[in-house]
Amino acid sequence: MLKINNLHNKVETQDGEEKAILKGLSLEVPAGEVHAIMGPNGSGKSTLSYVLTGRDGYEVTDGEMAFLGEELGELAPEERAALGLYLSFQYPVEIPGVPTITFLKEALNAQRATRGEEEVSAPEFMKLIREKAKQLNVSMDMLKRPVNVGFSGGEKKRMEILQALVLEPKFLILDETDSGLDIDALKIVSDGVNALRSPERGMLVITHYQRLLDHITPDVVHVMADGRIVKSGGPELAHELEAEGYDKFIGEAA
Amino acid sequence: MTAILTHTQAEKALIGALDGATGWRAHLREATQRDGLPTRRNEFWKWSDLRRAANDVSGVGRLDVTGLDGLTNVKDGDRIELAVAASAGASAADAALVVPAGASVTLVETLKGAAGSLGNWHMTIRLEAGARLDRVVITDHDADAVFVGSAEIELAETATLNQTMVDTGARLSRNETHVTHPGQGASITMGGAYVLAAGRHADTTNLVHHTGPGGVTQQLVKGAVASGGHGVFQGKFIVDRAAQQTDARMTHRALMLGERAEIDAKPELEIYADDVQCAHGNALGTLDETALFYMRQRGLPKARARALLIESYLAEPLDRVQDEALRERLKASLRARLGALI
Ligand SMILES: Nc1ncnc2c1ncn2[C@@H]1O[C@H](COP(=O)(O)OP(=O)(O)OP(=O)(O)O)[C@@H](O)[C@H]1O
Ligand SMILES: [Mg+2]
Repeated sequence: MLKINNLHNKVETQDGEEKAILKGLSLEVPAGEVHAIMGPNGSGKSTLSYVLTGRDGYEVTDGEMAFLGEELGELAPEERAALGLYLSFQYPVEIPGVPTITFLKEALNAQRATRGEEEVSAPEFMKLIREKAKQLNVSMDMLKRPVNVGFSGGEKKRMEILQALVLEPKFLILDETDSGLDIDALKIVSDGVNALRSPERGMLVITHYQRLLDHITPDVVHVMADGRIVKSGGPELAHELEAEGYDKFIGEAA
Repeated sequence: MTAILTHTQAEKALIGALDGATGWRAHLREATQRDGLPTRRNEFWKWSDLRRAANDVSGVGRLDVTGLDGLTNVKDGDRIELAVAASAGASAADAALVVPAGASVTLVETLKGAAGSLGNWHMTIRLEAGARLDRVVITDHDADAVFVGSAEIELAETATLNQTMVDTGARLSRNETHVTHPGQGASITMGGAYVLAAGRHADTTNLVHHTGPGGVTQQLVKGAVASGGHGVFQGKFIVDRAAQQTDARMTHRALMLGERAEIDAKPELEIYADDVQCAHGNALGTLDETALFYMRQRGLPKARARALLIESYLAEPLDRVQDEALRERLKASLRARLGALI
């Protein structure tokens, strides 16, 4: 479903210098599978999520990335979104003045328009969002507030998953969706994510902690260090990392 | 030694148009005769060179105003709609409004300059004690229009002025408001939004003169300017020695939507009283790239994401318009222009 081969990228730093971050990353996630990526701070996990979703300034210098057989490199972020790529941001962005509910309806209909599908009517949309909000224990009052403005860290993460439930993407990248969540919220959010698991859907779950993977059991765990995947294995790899740390894998990368 | 002024064709046309004029129009004629149209050498016009902008204007034009009958027998609850339209050529007109004591009135002025016009429009407004005026000015000019709207507003004690302007610019569009604020329970909210596409210029110039104690003034002007557009904000609060306990706040904020967007701002406070709360703020920024990416990641096309961000940026001064239908009309007029900025 998602195929990444020998991906290299660079960013421009604030002092105008170029910095390579992904340095030959290869990864394949077949439909129906959930893959986890773990790796030390600064190893390039969020960068990978931005490169996949097409953020400006994250230039691909070598390698390929294809989603459902389409090469992503040339597509605008909104085209990738309409194809079904969804990123739950490590740091969800505040958008003052735009009510969450308005934003989500626009987003859903924009994606549908790009795919040549019919608009969702206002009553249909309200029904949909009520149902999903209930599932994630989000109040309608919160949905009337501007996107992420004044939300707590945990509320923002919960909103990211609510948006995913409404947009029903084909592929989810969850960048540290567990950080900032209390124990109950972690359960609610994980249940939401698990509800989205299906044979047609893939997921890439970026996390530092085993506790999320206790709820969302991955098919494969990858270890990322210095812009590459240095080790892949089954769910037990996450336990191993938790017990022993990254040291021995980072050695292998060098 | 005074240099001899050679009038431009626009100046000649305006002087001609005002032949035999009285009142404010006679005043405008004299000033034009004596000094010509203002240029950037005039401190008050340093970013809006009217003489140069009006360079191509020739001949006498017409300034048609409909709705003037609404200005007589004004009573509580009135809603006065003036449509002011300048044809090509030079023209000027003025009108006066008195809002009687205790009455609450809405005044909507729509200003429309045609290509090749030099339109001048002036309102003299007086609010008697306890009166309230909700004044809305909307411009809808041709890109090749030159238009100067101005108002002289005087408040009696306990009167309330709530003024909102929406300016989408022209070759040169200037909206000037001079207010005399007596304090003593009177209060002023004034502000607005400007949205400027390439080649358009809008100038918001305001002077609020606080002459008595305890006045409240809130001003908020926001703008969004595309590459090749030029926004000007000049705000001045004067607080007389007698105007102790004045609470006056002026804020101008604008978005530069492209590298060649031009915005000039001069917020000024001139305070002669010692016990006042006055502040001014001015901030220029760009669209939040992170927010744009977030919105596009959710599927919004770039143009739509930009429009939504700009619209929400500009909403605050417009939200001060109390009449909901009017508020929506203002927002819609801005929204209609946003497409040209993206
Ligand atoms: N725009 C940028 N300018 C300069 N450096 C950048 C930029 N973006 C990322 N980096 C650097 O690239 C490296 C990888 O960052 P990234 O955010 O991808 O790490 P991460 O693996 O997600 O880390 P964490 O676990 O802390 O979230 C870091 O050293 C970071 O400082
Ligand atoms: Mg990260």
